[in-house]
Amino acid sequence: MSELGNSNRPAPSAPRPYRFPDFTRHGLDNGLTVWLVPIAGSSLTSVHLLIDAGAAAEDELRGGVASLTARLLVTGTRRLDAAAFAAATERLGIEVNSESSWDSSRAGFQSLPQHLDAGMALLAEMVQQPRFDPDEFSRLKAERLAAILQMRADAGSLADESFVKHLYDAGTPYRRLAGGTPEMVETLVVDDVRAHHAAHHRPGRAHLVIAGAFDPDEALRLAEQHLGGWSGSGPGHRTITPAATGGRRVVIVDRPGSVQSELRIGLVGIDRFDPRYFSAAIMSTYLGGSFGSRINRRLREELGYTYGARCGFDPRRAAGPFSAAAAVQTEVSAPAIAELLVLLEAAGAAPPATDELREAQDYQIGVFPLRFETTGGIAAAIEPIATYDLADDYWQTYRDRLEAVDAAAAQQAAVELIRPAELLVVAVGDASAIRADIEALGVGPVEVVPAP
Amino acid sequence: MPHIPIERHTLPNGLRVILSPERRTPIVGVNLWYDVGSKHERPGKTGFAHLFEHMMFQGTANVAKGEHFSLVQAAGGTLNASTWMDRTNYFETVPSHQLELALWLEADRLANLLPAMTQEKLDNQRDVVKNERRWAVDNQPYGTWDEKLQELLYPVGHPYHHSTIGSMDDLSAASLDDVGEFFATYYAPDNAVLSVVGDFEPAGALAMVERHFGPIPANHRRPPVPDTEIEPLIGAEIREVVSDRVPLPRVYAAYRIPVFGTDAFDALEVAVDLLGTGRASRLYGRLVRERQLAQDVTVMAFPIVSGAAIFSLWATARPGIDHEALTEAVLGEVDLLTDEGPSDVELERVQNLHAAGIESGQERISERADRLSMYACLFDQPERANSEVARYGAVDADRVRSAMAASLRADNRVLLTYLPAEGDQPGTEQAA
Repeated sequence: MSELGNSNRPAPSAPRPYRFPDFTRHGLDNGLTVWLVPIAGSSLTSVHLLIDAGAAAEDELRGGVASLTARLLVTGTRRLDAAAFAAATERLGIEVNSESSWDSSRAGFQSLPQHLDAGMALLAEMVQQPRFDPDEFSRLKAERLAAILQMRADAGSLADESFVKHLYDAGTPYRRLAGGTPEMVETLVVDDVRAHHAAHHRPGRAHLVIAGAFDPDEALRLAEQHLGGWSGSGPGHRTITPAATGGRRVVIVDRPGSVQSELRIGLVGIDRFDPRYFSAAIMSTYLGGSFGSRINRRLREELGYTYGARCGFDPRRAAGPFSAAAAVQTEVSAPAIAELLVLLEAAGAAPPATDELREAQDYQIGVFPLRFETTGGIAAAIEPIATYDLADDYWQTYRDRLEAVDAAAAQQAAVELIRPAELLVVAVGDASAIRADIEALGVGPVEVVPAP
Repeated sequence: MPHIPIERHTLPNGLRVILSPERRTPIVGVNLWYDVGSKHERPGKTGFAHLFEHMMFQGTANVAKGEHFSLVQAAGGTLNASTWMDRTNYFETVPSHQLELALWLEADRLANLLPAMTQEKLDNQRDVVKNERRWAVDNQPYGTWDEKLQELLYPVGHPYHHSTIGSMDDLSAASLDDVGEFFATYYAPDNAVLSVVGDFEPAGALAMVERHFGPIPANHRRPPVPDTEIEPLIGAEIREVVSDRVPLPRVYAAYRIPVFGTDAFDALEVAVDLLGTGRASRLYGRLVRERQLAQDVTVMAFPIVSGAAIFSLWATARPGIDHEALTEAVLGEVDLLTDEGPSDVELERVQNLHAAGIESGQERISERADRLSMYACLFDQPERANSEVARYGAVDADRVRSAMAASLRADNRVLLTYLPAEGDQPGTEQAA
């Protein structure tokens, strides 16, 4: 056995410190908060407009209206129809995006710095004087309904949807897609979009983030010029109080002929304000958040059951789901469920090994600067601070708070947050091939439901 | 447009090294392209180049199984690898003070992979790759599209006839001997390009590269490159209909086109954007917005470097829309653009979108490194990374029209149509 080169692992040199860019914030008279993040060396400008008009702000009877409103915004203004608006933005090299999640609606664009003024003018026109053309509404509604059909044909997307549907009780909006169920979307009319926009798309609870290459005085002047005349303040989001259906059980969503089963195992997790946020982040990293994590190592690198397995939290204004996920070949569906349950149950049984805790912290702390190499990445990093009213020094203290998680805190997070008696197992796969094996596991009652 | 600094070196063992410092953020990217892909696979060995890529993460004489990933992630880095028809790439992005670790890991597996190779590791990764195929292809709606397009665009026996992921049977047949032979044949410094991009000092980085890669011997006994010579046009229209577990019909059209790197390919990249990029593109504007025949449209050109490359587009039918009407409408738009060419306004639109897209992509260290490696590995011209915007901007309406007229023709076309299966019995039927 010959060996080439140096078998000694090189030691790191002295790290060059990284600091998240400084930013300023400015309140306009109409209530809009403007965040300015100049970035030395950037040759782009990112503009993100965040409005408290996401799915959490909609009337549950009009579920999906926030998403449809956000999508309809890019189909033009009173002055410019859909084709003209697309042409006006794209000739500047700008693709305006507009979308909605549970906690906010977000519109924005990225451009070369010389197009900042023109881009902001079009963005401002879009949110203040939307066209809301009835034909475009009908088109996007039909596209949305067809997109849900497409998503449900994809086993992974269907597993995500099925997991929250069976996890949360009937009174929790999080049990459905933020974009609404087909039944909800079917009932929407263009006046619902107009009403949602009129009530919620207001500057009073909104944030404008500008990051990258720009002159701060000039950017503030542009914000005032283009958005200063916008007025009002919406009611903002509802209070969502998540509740689980409860009880450990298995739901098989039948998808005949599947050569893999898409597995999701988990329970209701944490909200974005949870004091265990950082200990949960570290715990879920060594459990299933990196390549060498327990879940991926076992299911992929030891057993070869899957191309990849992972777990993680999805914190929102209220408690989003925690889940472990893997697509496994049909024949090993039952043993894969058993393996995942063993690993989840073991999470709270003992503190993490010193090495795996250290590795999880080193990973999360070390990748910090990698997350902010792009202008868009830095602009996006302001969003949680703005949306959840986190401290302005959130990113400056972020790594210290990860470092402060010790083995006891990580174990405690697992004990409190991964409660074995409440784990819901969802398997999207061929029920005729996997049902008997899964029932034989005896991990809980098994129910088979048809795919929607 | 930013100018990417490029410093080129070649080690005595043939390793080409590209250094490109950029100090904005204290991170550095290491990116290796090996001049081997699925086109180099022999009959009965489809999927092997990609399976081999997985084996490169299975440890060496100095690194335990799984440890390559763990060391990079614990260093605060991200990493991956990918295999395609013409090449295989491996890449890490790490905080800059961990540069030498990334270089050492890459050199170590190029030097010391085989002594640690075992049947158990091969069996494990074979299962992983089979599950990758199930996930990405077999259990995925429309998942077989690119495999089928390759089969239909290139004749049996052609190096691009089969997909990179390969067949289940061939994956089953892969042996430990195959691993050893493939490694000995293709994994040599004179068959690779190494790019280092980001926050580093060039002289120090070059010394590290020499220290770790310098002792690895060249291999001058590589087999001749596979013969990818092929007629530029198919010579007939080929139609195939696939019955799949999909809710909506989708039509694909694909054509043989001149290879990546030619003026004609540049012109067809502009045609891709004119037809399919943005809401003001022709296919989106006419088929999705105005006529409401399609749910979505996608157009792309595959940057293949030998034989013939691929121009492809697809459209998903809106519920209730007949797939033949959709096909006719898609092809009609292609023909219309071929006939009349783009207007100045359309060209300005795609040029500005392209320039902004390049700027945005190059913000990412990993993207810069990958493009430098690509141009160095495929063309021995890393400088091409700095001329992408100029080459794109040089394409005028006449070049678009003539490139489209030469290649996007009915007698050079594959039409692949996915239809919702009746019941649960997916299948394929050949037509015309």
